[in-house]
This record gives sequence, structure tokens and C-alpha cells, in this order.
Amino acid sequence: MNKSTAAMTSPQQGRTFYRTMVLRRQVILLGLLGALFLSFCVDLALGPARYELTEVLSALLTPGSVSEQISVIVWQIRMPVALMAIVVGASLSIAGAQMQTILSNPLASPFTLGISAGAGFGAALALAFGVSIVPFAVDYIVPINAFLVAMLTALMIHLLSMRRGVTIETIVLLGIAMVFIFNALMALIQFFASQQALSAVVFWTMGSLTKATWPKVWVSLAVLAIAIPLLARHGWALTAMRLGDAKAESMGVRPRRLRLQVLMLVSLLASVSVAFVGTIGFIGLVGPHIARMLVGEDQRFFLPASALCGALILSVGSVISKMLIPGTVIPIGIITSLVGIPFFLFLVLNQKKSIW
Amino acid sequence: MKDIPTFGGFKDGTFDVEQAASLKPDVVFMNIEAQTATEDAGYEDKLAALGIPIVYVDFREDPIKDTPASIRLMGRLLDKENEAERFINFSNQQMARVTDVIEQADPERPRVFIDRAGGYSDDCCMSFGPHNFGDYVRIAGGQNIADDIIPNTFGTLNPEQIIASNPQQVVVTGGDWEAYVPGGAWVGVGPGADMTEARRKLEALTHRTAMTGIDAVKHDRVHAIWHQFYNSPYYFVAIQQLAKWFHPDLFKDLDPDATLRELHERFLPLTYQPGYWVSLEAEDE
Repeated sequence: MNKSTAAMTSPQQGRTFYRTMVLRRQVILLGLLGALFLSFCVDLALGPARYELTEVLSALLTPGSVSEQISVIVWQIRMPVALMAIVVGASLSIAGAQMQTILSNPLASPFTLGISAGAGFGAALALAFGVSIVPFAVDYIVPINAFLVAMLTALMIHLLSMRRGVTIETIVLLGIAMVFIFNALMALIQFFASQQALSAVVFWTMGSLTKATWPKVWVSLAVLAIAIPLLARHGWALTAMRLGDAKAESMGVRPRRLRLQVLMLVSLLASVSVAFVGTIGFIGLVGPHIARMLVGEDQRFFLPASALCGALILSVGSVISKMLIPGTVIPIGIITSLVGIPFFLFLVLNQKKSIW
Repeated sequence: MKDIPTFGGFKDGTFDVEQAASLKPDVVFMNIEAQTATEDAGYEDKLAALGIPIVYVDFREDPIKDTPASIRLMGRLLDKENEAERFINFSNQQMARVTDVIEQADPERPRVFIDRAGGYSDDCCMSFGPHNFGDYVRIAGGQNIADDIIPNTFGTLNPEQIIASNPQQVVVTGGDWEAYVPGGAWVGVGPGADMTEARRKLEALTHRTAMTGIDAVKHDRVHAIWHQFYNSPYYFVAIQQLAKWFHPDLFKDLDPDATLRELHERFLPLTYQPGYWVSLEAEDE
């Protein structure tokens, strides 16, 4: 997009232009980071137990000096939720960003490929019938089931995609087929489930951060910490993938292998997130698109911007979901969609250049 | 019992009107929740064409208000009007044993948290708004902390809200959910329950984050009661037991266990099996 302008000017001007562009993108990243930090602080400061800011601060800085109740509220209830919002938002958004990249499809996300639907089905099996896929770790059967089914889905899509004549468009279609299969299986579970289990399943499918606990935060954070450097290492190759397989191959990228590696990695990211907090739909689709509008396709900026956008949307959603009716928690999936989609539409309709 | 055919639910659209018609019933009873879906599907007209009326009853949406009318209606249709009236009278008498005392003494109302199906999932905490168990708590002389928070009958509380409200009494609803959540943290109260086990699991629930430092846990005012009272014409037994927990001094002589036993002996073909509730405070007595 900017290459043509740069080509018509002298090398000196080009260099200046490039430096300004990089600087502008760095400023955008810093701005996102600042907004995220602000949202995180608000998430910690607000809650139905109306503590003063100073009380929350002292609970954070000197946990020994405050009453047990306030320290439990800040450290065991608000903190895991606030962190989980950021980690899950970033994970889902990165997962969506890289799926869009490797499949060259603006509609790709953990949801359109059936990975989230698979996780939802696994969780529903556990919630409605107590069916565990692995015989141990009974306390964690819901997330473990969700994770296993999601990974199986990703593997199945991969195996099918290995067949001769399967193109990336076919992969997206396979994913959509998966979504419908799992939705039907889910409906079948709801058909047989008890009233009590049904409400648990429904609540789970709407997504909720209130299930966040410290161990879950650590696991999700660990997965994110493993995935980001691995993806960043392939940054240039992934940027090249956006030019099409043939061009990428001419630059020394091996598209099929890269696609498999990235697919497995993002499945891991998405399924762990979905396993812990339920299905929070739209982050994986919209986070990366907002990031792309802000900083473009270059993975050096696109990857961190996607992570920050996703984290920011979910963090703001978390604040709204608990403030709308104080004392109760509106499932965050509803909030992120209701708040995020108008914002997304605003960006899309006001975009001057083509976004894909 | 196993020869009785089973039906799909109406809410999820699995009621089979053909099956219903082929069994040639004299009348079809439906829960009031299914009314919209039933009318929507035009089943009222379809069954009416076969001369089968649909009758809506309610024991769940607003049990206090609708149960007597529902029982009376069923009594009339089943030609057991006297039994229905006797049951309603019994229910009213048993209710009065609580309402009269509360009205007269007008005691201070303890703050109550109803932990709906506590331990069923690790998500905390499902509760009741101002209806159903919310009604029961109010009638029994308590104040439901979720009254102003949950707009309808069912809802979920922010765990932080429970610590902030600092309830003086916690009532967990429970039942034997082994078939749904094997080995789950739910409290398996109900007919013939293992009380030692139920008590152990109730105690375990008090260690959840949302229960940190609340008065109810400090003073062992944590109780569990059969969840199905939320959907049962025997709700007055639950109200008696709640009243006894909230105001032990006022209701020293009230014996909900005897009420439930009498109900079985007078109205049910089943033998009474205790085990419908358990409390942590029992240890002190």
C-alpha cells in the first residue's frame, strides 16, 4: 500500500517515511498498552463491595495491613478475573490473528474453525453427564474435556487438509462443517440434560470470567508465554504468507509446515482459553481486525497489537459486565459482543482504505 | 412406574403432540412455563380438535401464589376435590405456624444467602431473586441478600457481593446429583440421605473463596436443604425449617420433621424417609 509512494521518492525520503511509520506504530502500541493498564486498574478498583481506592491500593501493596475480607476480595476474586480477562483476550485474539494469516481468510477465527465449538461440546459432556474423557483429575473434567475435544478437532482438520487437492478454502469449509456438527451434538446434550445441568451448560456457553482462579491464570499465562515467542520467531515468514503460498515459497517459507505448526499452536491457545472461561465468541475475530486497521500486516506490530486489542476489549468488557447490575455478573460474552460489535462496525465503516 | 410413558419437554420443543394424542388422555397437564411455546405451536387447537384440553399448573414460577390453585384444579379434574381441599388446608395451617409468629414477633431479619445448588459446578454462586426460595426466606423471617440484585427468580451473584453483604445465614440447596456430576461438591440431602456425608460436604463448601470471613460461617449458621422444595407443593416444610434456623428461639416447638412425616402419612402412598436437611450448627446442640 505504501510501497508505491515510497518508490517514487528518493532513498532519503523513503527512509524518513519508514522511520515515521515505525514510530507511529510504536506509539499506537504504547497507547494500547496504556489503555490496557488503565482498564486493568479500573477492573481491580471496582466491585460490589465498595472499597475506597486507597483501601484497594493498600491491599495490593501491603496485603498484611488490611482486613482478611478486603485482601481476599482483591487478591482472590478481583485479581484472577482481571488477569484472566487480559490473558484470555490476548490468547483468543492472537489465535484469530494467526488463523486469518495462515488461511488467508478474514473470517477465520477459533470459532469459525470449530475449535471453540469442540471445546464447548467437551465441556457440555462433562457438565451434563459427568462424562470424563480421561479417568483422572475429576476436579478439572470440564476444562480437560474441553481442551481434548478442541485439540482433536484441530488435528482432524489438519489430517483432512493433508489429503490431495485440499486448499485453504477447503480447510475453512471443513471448520464450518465442524461447527455445525458440534452445535448439533450440543443441542442433543441439552435435550437429554437435567434442568440443573442445562442452566450450567447455557451459562458456560455464554462465557464467564468468574470461573477464574489463580491456577487457571497461571496455566493460560504459561501457554501464552510459550506461544508468543514461537509465533514471533516465524514473524517474517507469516508476514510473507499473506502474499500467497507461491510467493511465500519463493522466499524460502514452507507454507504447509508453517501452517501446521501455527494451527497447532493457536488451537492450544484457543482451547485453553475456552476451556477455562467458556465460549467468548467474538474477540478472536474482531481483535485482529482492529489491530490490522491500526498497524497493518507486519507481524512485528500486528502480533503485539492483536494481543493488546483482544486483551483491552475483554478487560473493558469485564468492567462493564460487573458494573451493569452491581452484585451480579452478566456473562461477558454478551457484553463483549454488544459493546465490541458497534465499535467494530464504526471502525469498518469509517475505514478509508481497504482493510483486507 | 416404569410402564408410564415419558415425554419430552415443551421448553426445548421436544414434546411430541402425536404421542400425546395417541395415548388418548382425558386431559394434558402442562407447566405454566410451557404455555407460550404450546400456544405458539398451535397444540392447544390440535389437541382441542381431539377433545383433549390442556391444563396449565404451576409449582415453580410462583409456588406460594399458584400452588393452591393448581392443587385445587387437579383435585377437581381427578375427582379428588376433598383430598385437594384437605391438602390445601394442611398447607395453610402449617404456613400459619410460621407467618403468625413472624407477624406477631416482628423479629430482626437475618441476612440470608441462598446458595442455589451450591457445589454443583465450580462457578460461584447461583442464587434466587425475590421469588421462589426468595419468597420462602422472606416468609420465614429472613432477608435474602439477592432480593435487590437478581431481577427475576433465578440468577448468579458476584462472589464478591457475598463477602460484601456478609450474610448471617447461608442456605445451600442440594440433592443427589450423582448421575449428573459424579463425586461433585453438591450436598446430597433428600429422602434417606447419608447425613454424615452431607454434613461433610456442606462443611467443605464453606471453604470457598466467596464464603471468606462471613458471619454465617464464623457462627456455623450454614445449612443445606433439599433443592426440590423449589418446585414442590411441600414448600411449607422448607419454610418451617428455614424459620427454625433463622429464629431458633421463636420456633423452639416447631418440628418440620414431624410436619413432613404427617404429610406422608396423610397424603402420600410413600413411607417417610428423613434426610431433607442438614446444618452445621447441629454439632453444638
